[in-house]
Amino acid sequence: MILLNGKEFAFVPGQTILELAQANGIEIPTLCHDERIEPYGACGLCVCEVRMGQAPARLMRACATKTADGMVIETQSARVERSRRFVLDMLLSDHTGDCIAPCSLACPGGTDCQKYAALIACGEYRKAAETMKDVIPIPASIGRICPHPCEKKCRRALVEAPVSLAALKAFGADMDLKENPFVPECKPDTGKRVAVIGGGPAGLTAAYHLRRRGHEVHIYDKMPKLGGMLRYGIPEYRLPKAVLDKEIALIGDIGVQMHPNTTLGTDVTLENLREGFDAVVVATGAWISSKMRVQGEDLDGVFGGIDFLRAAALGDPPAIGKTVAVCGGGNTAMDACRTAVRLGAETVYVIYRRTRDEMPAEQLEIEEAIEEGVQFKFLTNPDEICGDDRVSSIRLQCMQLGAPDASGRRRPEPIEGRFETLPVDSVIMAIGQKTDFAGLESLEATNRGTVNADTATFKTNLDGVFAVGDVTNKGADIAIAAIGEARKAADVIDAYLDGVEIAYEKPFVCEKTVTADDLADREKRDRAVMPVLPPEERKHTFAEMALGFDEETAKKEASRCLECGCLDYAQCKLIRYARQYKADPAPYAGEKSARQKDDSHAVILRDGAKCILCGLCVRACDQLEHLSAIGLAGRGFTTEVGAAYRLPLGTSCCNGCGKCVEVCPTGALYKKTEGCKNVAVDRK
Amino acid sequence: MLKIMVGQGSCGVSAGAGKVYDALQSAVEERKIDASLSVTGCIGMCFLEPIVDIYTDDRLTRLVRVQPKDVPAIADYLQTGDDASVASLKIAAQDSAFLEKQTRIALRNCGVIDPESLADAVAHRGYDALRKAVTEMTPEQVIDVIKVSGLAGRGGAGFPTWFKWNAARQSEGSPKYLICNADEGDPGAFMDRAVIEGDPHALIEGMLIGAYAIGADEAIVYVRAEYPLAIKRLEKAIADAKAAGYIGEHIFGTDFSCGFRIKAGAGAFVCGEETALIESLEGQRGMPRLKPPFPAQSGYWHKPSNINNVETFANVAWIINNGGEAFAAMGTDDSKGTKVFALTGKIKRGGLVEIPMGKTLRDVVFDIGGGMRADKAFKGVQLGGPSGGCVPSELIDTVIDYKKLSATGAIMGSGGMVIMDESTCMVRMAKFFLEFTTKESCGKCVACRIGTKRLLEILTRICDGDGREGDIELLEDLCARIKENALCGLGQTAPNPVLTTIRYFRDEYEAHIRDKRCPAGECTALVRFSIDPDKCRGCSLCSRKCPVGAISGDVGKPFTIDGEACIRCGQCAEVCKFGAVRKG
Repeated sequence: MILLNGKEFAFVPGQTILELAQANGIEIPTLCHDERIEPYGACGLCVCEVRMGQAPARLMRACATKTADGMVIETQSARVERSRRFVLDMLLSDHTGDCIAPCSLACPGGTDCQKYAALIACGEYRKAAETMKDVIPIPASIGRICPHPCEKKCRRALVEAPVSLAALKAFGADMDLKENPFVPECKPDTGKRVAVIGGGPAGLTAAYHLRRRGHEVHIYDKMPKLGGMLRYGIPEYRLPKAVLDKEIALIGDIGVQMHPNTTLGTDVTLENLREGFDAVVVATGAWISSKMRVQGEDLDGVFGGIDFLRAAALGDPPAIGKTVAVCGGGNTAMDACRTAVRLGAETVYVIYRRTRDEMPAEQLEIEEAIEEGVQFKFLTNPDEICGDDRVSSIRLQCMQLGAPDASGRRRPEPIEGRFETLPVDSVIMAIGQKTDFAGLESLEATNRGTVNADTATFKTNLDGVFAVGDVTNKGADIAIAAIGEARKAADVIDAYLDGVEIAYEKPFVCEKTVTADDLADREKRDRAVMPVLPPEERKHTFAEMALGFDEETAKKEASRCLECGCLDYAQCKLIRYARQYKADPAPYAGEKSARQKDDSHAVILRDGAKCILCGLCVRACDQLEHLSAIGLAGRGFTTEVGAAYRLPLGTSCCNGCGKCVEVCPTGALYKKTEGCKNVAVDRK
Repeated sequence: MLKIMVGQGSCGVSAGAGKVYDALQSAVEERKIDASLSVTGCIGMCFLEPIVDIYTDDRLTRLVRVQPKDVPAIADYLQTGDDASVASLKIAAQDSAFLEKQTRIALRNCGVIDPESLADAVAHRGYDALRKAVTEMTPEQVIDVIKVSGLAGRGGAGFPTWFKWNAARQSEGSPKYLICNADEGDPGAFMDRAVIEGDPHALIEGMLIGAYAIGADEAIVYVRAEYPLAIKRLEKAIADAKAAGYIGEHIFGTDFSCGFRIKAGAGAFVCGEETALIESLEGQRGMPRLKPPFPAQSGYWHKPSNINNVETFANVAWIINNGGEAFAAMGTDDSKGTKVFALTGKIKRGGLVEIPMGKTLRDVVFDIGGGMRADKAFKGVQLGGPSGGCVPSELIDTVIDYKKLSATGAIMGSGGMVIMDESTCMVRMAKFFLEFTTKESCGKCVACRIGTKRLLEILTRICDGDGREGDIELLEDLCARIKENALCGLGQTAPNPVLTTIRYFRDEYEAHIRDKRCPAGECTALVRFSIDPDKCRGCSLCSRKCPVGAISGDVGKPFTIDGEACIRCGQCAEVCKFGAVRKG
């Protein structure tokens, strides 16, 4: 008999510890073992504490140690776990690769951009939409309006320009919406009920993901229709509401129940929602325009940025006159100034206290606003809004740039005594948003006046009440940030409903640094330009300005993707174990091996930088295929796997059978997909 | 008749013994001196090479550091018998002590016989023991004698030799192989080389006895290719022994037959690990196998195999001739017989030392080795090469015995003994050994391949003055993990130099990390040169010698060194006649 983790087991003579454990449902991790191949013992991950008789327990490799009568084995002791973590720390300290593409890491929602781009390149639009909807329930909408942090990290920029990931998202989602769009399956009903307050990006996302997990979800929203700021803050010419309507309707199709025109504090209260539901998600956003605290702010003809945009969206824009000043440099300011143009204002100023380079708004938006005739008054700051009852002019303090501030941007400083006055009919203040706390009084607030929610558990001070999106912590952010939070919160809330407490933890990933030199051999291919309505035409219409990619353009654009993310991420045992054992290679950071990529073979792609030298490929080639096309070369840290004489694999006797790919525990070996882009299998 | 022997081990050859031999040969021929001239192996006193031994009937005259220009004087002496002409060449009494204080068993014939002469070996009891074993003893009796002797593996691990022989004998399977591990790779170790170069027949005889004991059909010497002279002499010895019938079919007319061959390694240190050695013998990449199965069950070509080290075999014939008890009479309870050490480093008299177990390190370092060169302070001794550890000066009275040495954190090892004085930086020493193991790791297991690399990186940054708080603890933890997880002895022991130097010289590590100071003054990045204004006479010599013009001043007044410009070559300190240049 053998004592395995404190329990007695019978063993078969000749059986290894690993085999005995597997036969009894006990998992022992290994990176270098495959049951069809002779034990090798390279990785050392399968070590277990083994005691025989009176001798002290030793760490033995389970893959190679034969069982013997009287053995006492521990497969998960602290000593074992420490040794395994050490092995993983070491391997990761010499592992060069990107588990996840930089675009995807940059996306606050973690959207798998590489995958949907690959699917679009292959013409698989429905699957592309499915990939997007793994995170974003409303991709056609988000693709149109997202400031796309993904593109800012796209490595294609090192070749010529980033891939148009946002536009591709809109394209792929639009294609799917055309007929019989993708609707996710929901798990069987759990009997649990969740109330979501607020039907904006955060609320819709939380509802969508919780419903998919089988919970009954109700969204309460004070506005006549759902969509939140996407509907009432983003102008029609950027996001046609018909698109948003279709996507929201699909959320309704999976069973999310929507209750518009329901105001918190009057129609429902947090308290009675808490009583009636198993969990409550607060996602009410930030709907109050910030004040500038300048004289004349309360005059007629002075509007808050989002108030103005909301009125316009509701079809009841205020009278703004012929000359309008918009204060602020963000995207809301751009939306406001361009909406003003479309409402018939003849002269529209943007008042911004720094220069164009410091503007937080998208450069393209600034460009388009200029095309539409908007005049930018850089280095000016509103000093006073003048007029008797109504605005008649605005006095601007002239500014200059001083030393950089905490944000790294140069601090604007007033030039003493220099002012400029512009005669205006109205002023729109698009300088920020605040939380409306009405109905949320029982929740703990931050000193910014937002709801205080834990950033990892999304919990508020009230049990069962979670909060996500603009209403929380740092306040207003971009839509995808709210979506990302809601997506993560859905996991936490789902567990909560199941009686388990979890917290979101940023998963460990390997990342590498790539420079333009590394990509110098890539063929330069221009980024697709989004066709738009000409300025003269669009100035007079709220019709969507962007005309969208045609199929050919989209496919071509998607194929520009460099496929930075590891194609084997989903199957990679190294990353799985790294997370399981909480590996942290940082203290051991040092030189990494110089092993290179070998793309010389027709079907097999070898990335030496991801190789962990487990030797499985070499042994599979020898023992399973009887070919020995590859072997080990070099010694110690510089050891590498390759064909004889270190020649390219493509020139070797490799027959492309792919057995090596099959056994590779990491993404060091990949069998190329024929024709189109490589599509990694699902990340989960 | 006069007998002249010129020491021509690798040490002698590199000191110029070949030229001395040629000159002697010419002189003997020209002057028609009635003397036989031959070579011999390493006498052990490598620091005195080239050595010429002149035997008359009753005495030995040993001449040291002989150069070809000394040959006429030697010839005069040979002709006249008046040793006045060679007085300056004669070995000093204190140097003679180097040999006199030793007990030579494994090295019994080294430096005594002509290694290229079978007759000379036979004249010194060569193959007597083999004859006795195969004609008078059963294999079991041979194993029994070895058991009584207490002989343990001299390669480093110290495993009882009889046990391995017995396991291989008992093991099912045929054929069986007897293998000699002559892949001596520890930096500073040359015991095995000296045995093969000096007395190859002792090795052959010991192996044949072992082969008889386990029932092997073939004996193979796996010798590193970096030992060409050893290979050459061994090849000749094998050929001679074959011709004489000691190797081959029906040895001494018995049923015992055994083949014998050499396999030269390809320069990988890890092939000293027995399973990697077997892989290499089979023509595979030299990487360790998983143990168990042990070679006694499944070794070369997966047949029962026994592997011992050169020195182990070199003791065998003596034990058979003299009895196991005679061998066991030497040493301690735990460790029997003698052990050969290669003494190197900052020692006055370096060379080969064979002493009975139970002597102390002090006996070796001070009595035999004569203490430190230039009478600097003794700091420690590194035993067992890269797998071993450092024993500090305060433990100099440690008894040489497997258990006692292990207790210090070092190991007996194969016999490398590197002596360090106060000018040796212990962090740097650890780094040196890690550089070695990192390069020599086979790359198979993670713990060794990456673990030693990370150890080396941390040691390097400490020596470069970039050490961080917590680095010592990080090193200790890494060492523990590597020892526990590495696949073979190379990796399991690679952390030892780091662990022992931390254990005994932690303050030196701390000085590097916290004070950015190398107490031994060896880490250039941490050394600062300055001029003591009280001692400087302003002679300007240092300033003129400085290769980068970093020293300035007015003649007659104290000079100063520009620390930024200084490249720390140390020339200023060397040339200063007043000891005014401070290093630290």
